Order: sequence, then C-alpha cells, then structure tokens
Amino acid sequence: MMNAYAKPLPRTDVDSQPFWDGCKQHELRAQQCNDCQRFRWPPQAFCPGCYSWNFAWTRLAETGKVVTFVVVHYAAVAAFQPDLPYVVAHIAIDGTDGHVQLISNVIDCPWEEVKVGMAVRAVFEDVTPEMTLAKFRPA
Amino acid sequence: MPEQAIKDKTAIAGIGWTAFTRNSGVRTLTLAAEASLKAIADAGLKVQDIDGVVSYFHKRPESKEVAELAQMLGLKHCNFQIYSDGGGGWNCAAVFSAAMLVHAGVCKNVLVFKAQNRYSEGRAARSERAHDVSGPDQFTVPFGQHHAAAHFGPHATAHMARYGTTSIDFAHLAVTERSHAMLNKKAMMRKPMTIEEHQASRWIIYPFRLFDCCQETDGAVALVVTSAERARDLKHAPVYIMAGVGGVSETSGWWETNGVNSAPKLYEGAGIAPRDVSLAEIYDPFTFMCMTHLEDLGQVPKGEIGPWVRAGNNRLDGALPVNTHGGLLSEGHIAGLNHFIEAVQQLRPEGVVDDLCTGPHTYDRATCRQVRDPKIALLCGECVDSAMLLRKA
Ligand SMILES: [Zn+2]
Repeated sequence: MMNAYAKPLPRTDVDSQPFWDGCKQHELRAQQCNDCQRFRWPPQAFCPGCYSWNFAWTRLAETGKVVTFVVVHYAAVAAFQPDLPYVVAHIAIDGTDGHVQLISNVIDCPWEEVKVGMAVRAVFEDVTPEMTLAKFRPA
Repeated sequence: MPEQAIKDKTAIAGIGWTAFTRNSGVRTLTLAAEASLKAIADAGLKVQDIDGVVSYFHKRPESKEVAELAQMLGLKHCNFQIYSDGGGGWNCAAVFSAAMLVHAGVCKNVLVFKAQNRYSEGRAARSERAHDVSGPDQFTVPFGQHHAAAHFGPHATAHMARYGTTSIDFAHLAVTERSHAMLNKKAMMRKPMTIEEHQASRWIIYPFRLFDCCQETDGAVALVVTSAERARDLKHAPVYIMAGVGGVSETSGWWETNGVNSAPKLYEGAGIAPRDVSLAEIYDPFTFMCMTHLEDLGQVPKGEIGPWVRAGNNRLDGALPVNTHGGLLSEGHIAGLNHFIEAVQQLRPEGVVDDLCTGPHTYDRATCRQVRDPKIALLCGECVDSAMLLRKA
C-alpha cells in the first residue's frame, strides 16, 4: 500500500470477533437468540430479553434507517482531518426490530442532506488487509 | 415508592472552591487539597474531623486521587473511601454516597471533591482516549466518534427531528446562562453573548456550535456532608439533603434520557412534586443536554423546552431559575460538582457570596444573582444518571 492506514482500528474481542469476520466477508452479522429469536447489539454472551445463552450469528440485511446522527466539523484525531466534515450516524438495520443499531459513517452524500429516517445501504471498505469497516450510503 | 429513610437526615455543611482557570500551574491534587481545606474550614470543622472521602472520574482515573488526597491531608481516621468511574453522571451520586455513609453510621463527616486540570492537561488526555478501541469503543472510534459532542449530539438531533427544536432554541439557553455568569465573580466567561453571536459561532459537531459547548476548566470544588443534627451546631445554616437517585435504566429513544426513569423516584423519595422546586442546577456540557434534562426531570412537558427557554422561564426571575451560576457552559466545568457550590450558596440564609452585590442582596439583575427566597434546589448529572433535591433550613 502507498499510504499506511492512519486511523484507529477496532480491537476485537471474543464476543465481537464474528462481527468483524463478517465485515471481512462483506456481510453484516449479529447474534440472534435461539430461544426468543431476538437480535442484540453490541455482542454479548447471552440474550438481554430472555437470558438464554443459546444463540447463532445471523446474516443481516444490508439496508437500514438513520435513527440519529452528528456531523463532525472538528477532528480530535488528526487522521480524520481530511474527511471533515463527516457524518457519524446511528443506523437501525432492517429486520432486527430496532435491536441492532450500528454506529458508522454515511458517505457519498452531502452532510446537509442526511436526515433522521433516511434509508441507507451498507458499503464495505477494506481499510487494511486484515480489517474491513461497514459504512453506509443513501439507499 | 415512599419517602426515602434518609430524607432530611443529612446536610451539606461546608463548601470550598479554587479559582477556575485555563492553566492552574499546580498538580490536580494540589487543587483538590485547596478546595477541600476551604470546605472543611467553611464548615467550621478540623481536618481530622473528616472520616470519609468521595470522588469520581471519567473513563480513566487521573491517579489514585481519593487515597492520595487522604494521605496528603494526613487523615488519621478515614473509615470509607469511594472513587467512582461514573463521570459527569455521578455528581449527585457522589454527594448522595457521602450522605448514605453518614446516615448508615459509617462516617461522621465526609469530604466530596472533584479536581481537574482539564484545560491545561485534558486535551492531551482526550486525544489519547480518542485512540481507545476496545470494548464499546471498537464500534465508534474507528468511525470518528471521538468527542463528547459526538457522543451527546445524537440526543439533540433526535429531539430536533421529533419535536422541531432548533439551534436558535439552544442559543437562548446559552445566552441566559451567560447572563447569569456575568453576575458570578468566579465564572470563566463573563462577556455578554447575543443570539446572533451564538448563531454565527462555528460548528464543532453538528448540531452543536462552539457556543453550545461548555468550558474546559482547571480547578477544584469540595464540600462536606454531615448529619443534620451535627450540621445544626456548625458554622453555617445546614442545607438539607432531601433525596437522591443514582441508577441508570433503559430509555425508549434518543430524544429522552435516564431522567424519565429516575426523576419520579427522586420526587417520591423527597415527598414533593416537581412544581415545588425553586431553582435547578442542571448538568449542561452542551446547551441541549440541559434542555432535555429539564424535560426528563418533569420540569417542562416533553418537547416544549424550546418555547420554554425562549420565553425566559430559566432566568433568575423566571418560573424556574436554571444554572444561576452560568453552568458548565459559562462558569466552568468541574464535572457538575460546581453546581452544588451554587445550590448551597443559593439556599443559605445569607445567599450567594460571589455575585456583584456589595451589601445585602438587591435582586437588581445588573449586580445580583441571588434568587428570591428559594426553598428547594434540584440538581442532576449527565443524562440524569444521578439527581438530588436539597432544601433550605
Ligand atoms: Zn432470548
């Protein structure tokens, strides 16, 4: 690579690793309870609805809605300076009953046009050979 | 839930503070000691009367501050220490923890303090924190969510979309708090602010402009909590602790905070109704957060805070004076413990000692920030993760 990726990368853990592995495969995944079928986010070992420890990692839709957002005009980390202004949104993934809300960037859209309720679709950025980040653009 | 057993059984007997600056030039613990010694003296107690110490931090502790302060002060009989990771949500919980230690008979006189060199040293620490990428931060930091404004801005955006709240509503809150700070000798920001200046200030993180953001402050405040009975024999009239809450439960959306869960318990615990409150010192790291807190505390109907602040209800002579010292926005940011210094001053018989009045309070708003005859003060921390009611003796 010409330029090393300078932004902070996720430090994965035993609960979250399958999610990041999914991103690497260009898939959104979350845990779903085997007993009550509820989705959950962020990853954790048991269901916060029925407290069952049985679950499966399930492939999610790649579409969602903007629940709320901010637009960053001031970079606390220098590596983000070239991106200013950029959108950080909370995105409810379709089909998860609102239980999976990812925080990510809405890209390919002027920030003034981002709205609460806007439909978005995932786009996968392979930022390093090991790590892929799921971002979103208007659907 | 009935009234809390602790109601009116404990009191704040002493308060102390350092200068609020952008470069203290001394160690955080030196600030802590200065504010603490002043609070102990203000109570009319001796250092060795202190037998409990409480403080709190955000994200990463500066050091083993509570243990180190106890050591610096040379405490010989310290029965209990608490150093919580509750951050700005924990200001009222810190004071209430002290009250519970006293009410339980574990301690007699508990020192509560918050000290920080947040302007001179905090920026470096913040940049360091912005590189934390484990735990919940792995899902936010890689996407550029680094700043407190990015953490709390989503509450504001959601409220604006749901209720039509605007940046101009935020401006009215900022301007009113500034007008209070102009009557406060220790406030960091005492220049007048206009709505137009607020609207012309640059975006930091939308929907927050520069003038929606609080100060960053070097300084410390401290207070002493003791039993109501002992407080009555001390130097100042007691300010009684009526009730407190300090737990966090789920909310149904970004447009509301934990206050919707905690506020009803708080009023029930004190045996009062929301309308019985005389003044409110509300956690305000950003203009909007103060506004949602007022709604979630049941002081303003949900969604109506915009018109409410535009009508000036939060001014010193308004229906509910709010952040009478200027708040985190204009007085300075000592993690909301500075709000207690103001509430206690407002509820003492002599009133505030650091406005521009030279004799008795005149209630002339060119010089005087004392609220007329307040009886009960409401305080809260970030997202109303803790809250408290205090009353005048
Ligand atoms: Zn379940």
